Amino acid sequence: MPAAKNISVIVADDQASMRSLIRNSLEQIGFADIREARDGEECLKGVIARPANLVISDFNMPNLDGIGLLRAIRMHPPTSKIAFIMLTGRADIELLKQAKEYGVNNYVVKPFTVAGLRERIEAVFGRLS
Amino acid sequence: MRGRPKAGLTTENGAAPAGRRVHIVQGAYEVTRDPQVVLTTLLGSCVAACVHDPVAEIGGMNHFLLPDAEGAGDSADVRYGVHSMELLINGILQLGGRRERLRVWLFGGAKLFDRLVDIGAKNAAFAEQFVRREELIPMGGSLGGLKARRIQFWPVAGRPRQLLLKQAEPGLTAPPVLDSRPPRVQPGSAVELF
Repeated sequence: MPAAKNISVIVADDQASMRSLIRNSLEQIGFADIREARDGEECLKGVIARPANLVISDFNMPNLDGIGLLRAIRMHPPTSKIAFIMLTGRADIELLKQAKEYGVNNYVVKPFTVAGLRERIEAVFGRLS
Repeated sequence: MRGRPKAGLTTENGAAPAGRRVHIVQGAYEVTRDPQVVLTTLLGSCVAACVHDPVAEIGGMNHFLLPDAEGAGDSADVRYGVHSMELLINGILQLGGRRERLRVWLFGGAKLFDRLVDIGAKNAAFAEQFVRREELIPMGGSLGGLKARRIQFWPVAGRPRQLLLKQAEPGLTAPPVLDSRPPRVQPGSAVELF
């Protein structure tokens, strides 16, 4: 059973309010190593500088959107194994098919609950302690 | 507002009839670049954000209520407001708006009923905090008070109008009655009263 506090996360979203909400939710689940990025480009630089175990990324972002970030992470060998959860405003089938094609591990539809986010993370990492 | 918004309409293409009114119900939002469109809503304790990009000449409005506003309050209720604002802002960005140019008027958040918890105040506080945190350009508006409001917003021109109602909004209580007394508007606000 992996401990949430040992899993490093980077949250990518262009809205400070949403980043704060996700951070707050992750802290409630037990995560401690949480970084934030304002867009896909900043997130990519962040994981290249210091790899994370999990990326939670919005789809709509300036500079590099969620799909672009996912592709870039999967194409770069040092980061290609990072778990990736996509945040979407709606369950867009085409978007999710595209994300799946590039190796997304799971997705969360906004607005989400803490329990819902935990469930999606546990589907990737197994039950968290 | 629980669950997903009822409508996320974007009137990007096609000319609308002159002065076409689009009413925004609770949980919905609308974004447009059509100069003929007038967005309208009726607010009690709910809040509406009117957002406008003056360069791209795009604008929109939402209408939301934090669903758990009567509770003790934690991030669980705030997420619906954040989501509503995100949908509105993303809609404008997708039509070519730029975040750093977005001007925002906030309306609503009235206290219509005697309750221990002022739901309207909580909604208003959330909206103001959101505008500050996201570094959007605050243009004023009208928040709080004891009366329902009817709002009109010309999203392409960036022109809001407010009518304070004498009684609570329909659906909450009786049909609206015009109030002849002048409404209180935040200082510096470019809100037109009618």
